[in-house]
Amino acid sequence: MGHVDRAREFVRDESRTKWHDESLWFVRAKRDEAADTVPDWEALRDEAATIKRDALSRLPDLWRQFETAATEAGAVVHWARDAEEHNQIVLNLLEERGFRRVVKSKSMLTEECGLNPFLEARGIEIIDTDLGERIVQLRNERPSHIVMPAIHLKRSEVGKLFEKEMGAPVGLDDPDALTALARQDLRKRFLAAEAGITGVNFAVAETGSFVVVTNEGNADLGTALPSLHIACVGLEKIIPAPGDLAPFLRLLARSATGQPISAYTSHFRGPREAEDIESPAPAMHIVIVDNGRSDLLAQPSFRDALACIRCGACLNTCPVYRRSGGHSYGTTIPGPIGSVLEPSRDPKAHAELPHACTLCGSCTDVCPVRVPLHHQLLTWRAHLAEGGHHPTRRRVAFGLAGRLFAHPRAYEILTKAGRRVARRLPAAWLDRLTSPWTEARTLPPIPARSFREQMRARERQATRGPR
Amino acid sequence: MRVALFVPCYVDQLRPQIGLATLDLLTAAGFEVDFQEEVVCCGQPFLTAGETKRAAALGARFVDAFQNVEAIVTPSGSCAATLRRHLESLVTAPAAASVAAKTFELCEFITKESACPPLSRPFPHRVGLHASCHGLRELGLGTPTETRSATRIDPARELLSRIPELEITSLDRRDECCGFGGTFSVEEAAVSTRMGLDRLEDHGRGGAEIVTSTDVSCLLHLEGLSRRRTLPFEIFHIAEILAASALGHDLRASTEPC
Amino acid sequence: MSARDQILAALTRHPAPPVEPARSESRPEMPANPWSVLEKRLAQNGGRLVHSHSGEWIDSVKWSCEFAELTHVYVATNVPEPSPTPPASQLPATAQLSTLTSRGVGATAKAMRDLEPLEVTVLYADFAVAENGAVWHVPASPLERTAALLAEHLIVLVPASSLVATLHHAYERIALAETRFGWFLSGPSKTADIEQALVLGAHGPRTMQLVALES
Repeated sequence: MGHVDRAREFVRDESRTKWHDESLWFVRAKRDEAADTVPDWEALRDEAATIKRDALSRLPDLWRQFETAATEAGAVVHWARDAEEHNQIVLNLLEERGFRRVVKSKSMLTEECGLNPFLEARGIEIIDTDLGERIVQLRNERPSHIVMPAIHLKRSEVGKLFEKEMGAPVGLDDPDALTALARQDLRKRFLAAEAGITGVNFAVAETGSFVVVTNEGNADLGTALPSLHIACVGLEKIIPAPGDLAPFLRLLARSATGQPISAYTSHFRGPREAEDIESPAPAMHIVIVDNGRSDLLAQPSFRDALACIRCGACLNTCPVYRRSGGHSYGTTIPGPIGSVLEPSRDPKAHAELPHACTLCGSCTDVCPVRVPLHHQLLTWRAHLAEGGHHPTRRRVAFGLAGRLFAHPRAYEILTKAGRRVARRLPAAWLDRLTSPWTEARTLPPIPARSFREQMRARERQATRGPR
Repeated sequence: MRVALFVPCYVDQLRPQIGLATLDLLTAAGFEVDFQEEVVCCGQPFLTAGETKRAAALGARFVDAFQNVEAIVTPSGSCAATLRRHLESLVTAPAAASVAAKTFELCEFITKESACPPLSRPFPHRVGLHASCHGLRELGLGTPTETRSATRIDPARELLSRIPELEITSLDRRDECCGFGGTFSVEEAAVSTRMGLDRLEDHGRGGAEIVTSTDVSCLLHLEGLSRRRTLPFEIFHIAEILAASALGHDLRASTEPC
Repeated sequence: MSARDQILAALTRHPAPPVEPARSESRPEMPANPWSVLEKRLAQNGGRLVHSHSGEWIDSVKWSCEFAELTHVYVATNVPEPSPTPPASQLPATAQLSTLTSRGVGATAKAMRDLEPLEVTVLYADFAVAENGAVWHVPASPLERTAALLAEHLIVLVPASSLVATLHHAYERIALAETRFGWFLSGPSKTADIEQALVLGAHGPRTMQLVALES
């Protein structure tokens, strides 16, 4: 089941699709309002885009610099070639200390690596503390959006979930009350946690610092109390200097949710100070992860996608995402950026995704770092066709059409005959013949003469002259 | 000035009156118009399907046919966009870049040349203007709602606003995609339909009686959806409306007995 | 070859071309009424701005209950006088509280856990940012960071003269290489994860008041 089938299912529920579409459009509209308040918005996009491209052109130097500075600050730096290695490193860090209780703030990277099921299978309790992530964790499903994981759910559905999992009274669906229950439950988890895992929004090469951004403060609560902080970061997340954070932080929250800035923008450098009576002593471990990123970097057509700062603006603006939902994509990251990133992992499995798109280009226009998303999706289509991932029937049809269009006489003869037949067929027959189109649309009346034929008639008239 | 008229395959076959309106407008504006028979298709459907070899072959024909003309005009924003944006990378012939650069969508061209026949006849209708994505974002025919760059005039809107008694109606989502998207319209028919119906609903809320655009593919999609549900819209290409106002063309008279 | 070496080598396989970062020469200037811009942004973030003079801030802020009834208050040591002193009523918690505020032995983040619930935390920030309503704060200790997160209500004091226009200006003032932990705080802890309904107090403080102190 691919995007086509899942999207068809999704769209069947008209009112729910409308609700989902409007919820996401609302966020897009807030982003627009926020952009209005920034007079240098386009210049900022240029700045952020070029800082990222520059960083991507010298990743080895920047990571070496980061490693030195972070180590000097007391952090331990690990390197993971793929998801398995990443998961194993995290597991080792926990097992070495005999830790079994872990809290985690939002990290699409850990989602990508399948960290939760890996740890759970080995007896580690890992609790997602971002409310949206916690909700989907309890429902045993993937987040449907990279910033708003539970955007696909109605409050009553969260209410029912909380009845089951948090002892909520039956029928409770007030978001304040539901959040209060989650607050209570998660507060206990924070206080009991032995380790906190976070993602990284931006790693700063010069100082060995990194920045974690949340609205809930869950990344901070998850790392202020437990003695072990594990920070997981993708190879593409590094920028050169502290001042470079400014354009990104001015763009990120505004692009994501229309806020001027998130509630918590936390800068970490090394483990927190030990307090006299603390044991074990606080430790920070940073896991740098490749998992296909160096492959993408080696592809000029797609390497720009590594500039992505995971704001989600492209999802919010995509008319297809809004009407099909994140789960239709079947990927860790859905929406336009997902459809660019995921096929490089598994072209066969994700060959449909670059076609789940009308190439409208809105995604490219909202991207704070100017990833040319719709152009990359078009490029993917060419790669997938050449790679044999397109259905044969489609290729054959296009092959025939292409040949026809290169022979104007044949084109005219065939289309004239086709129109003649079409005009004589009963409407129902014609509809069936053209059925993928006519499933939902009525064909217009077929003209007796094409433009070419009418042009020729005019010319004949003109040469004959007035009578 | 001599201009070459490029009429895309679906206009040729399904809406020839748009080609005729375009021809007549350009002629009335004082251009000498040549219709080039050798070129059937700009290659866009092949390009968007990932069939780049086919697209390149058709692009090469286009370059061959049009390399010596002064300008190529087409009543299709998406064809013009495909040619301007992609011809050079698809076709190795040295003339490709210059052919691309002199290919224009109709409204864009007559505005650029300040050569529109006077739009004097009143058109007392409420008209919804659908912003074709390719025209907007690839050709720059207007300012996308996403960006905060300097405002760009939308030639289609500008021309419509000159027509007496024509009221351009408003939209909640000014430039959302109609959902055609080429093969998307049949492969992802469900979402495509939903997107098209939402566009029509938006136009309806603004009180549009007529929906128009610079792109026939968008209009065929919207019209097909509208007909199926007998919605109260009439769908015309902008060339048809301009020809009605400038030249007295009868919009609704079918040029052909059906 | 270690994982590290393999990864670093893989990154040079087909290097991306160098790009000159388009760093802007000019930055947005301080708006005409910077504190009123900040106030609007802070309100968008769920926070509230209060103007006060150094000596009077305790009276200017809204306390969560009668001040005299507060028992669990954390006050950062760099908060200028007057500093709220615990009421005379001596509950056992108050004794612990004075231990906390004087940073004596036993005053650790771990001990903080046992003090649940913490009603109010008062912090002193370095400067505020007009464009987004945030303040830059460097907790003096892990204890202070924890107190900022566990409190039901947060009060942040900042000198009114310490206001910068944008984050660009902010980073000029931050010595990140010397900062083990520092954050921009822009409002109470919040979420909109349930049907986009804004809820304040997701995990951390439910309210945040920013007090601009005129000296």
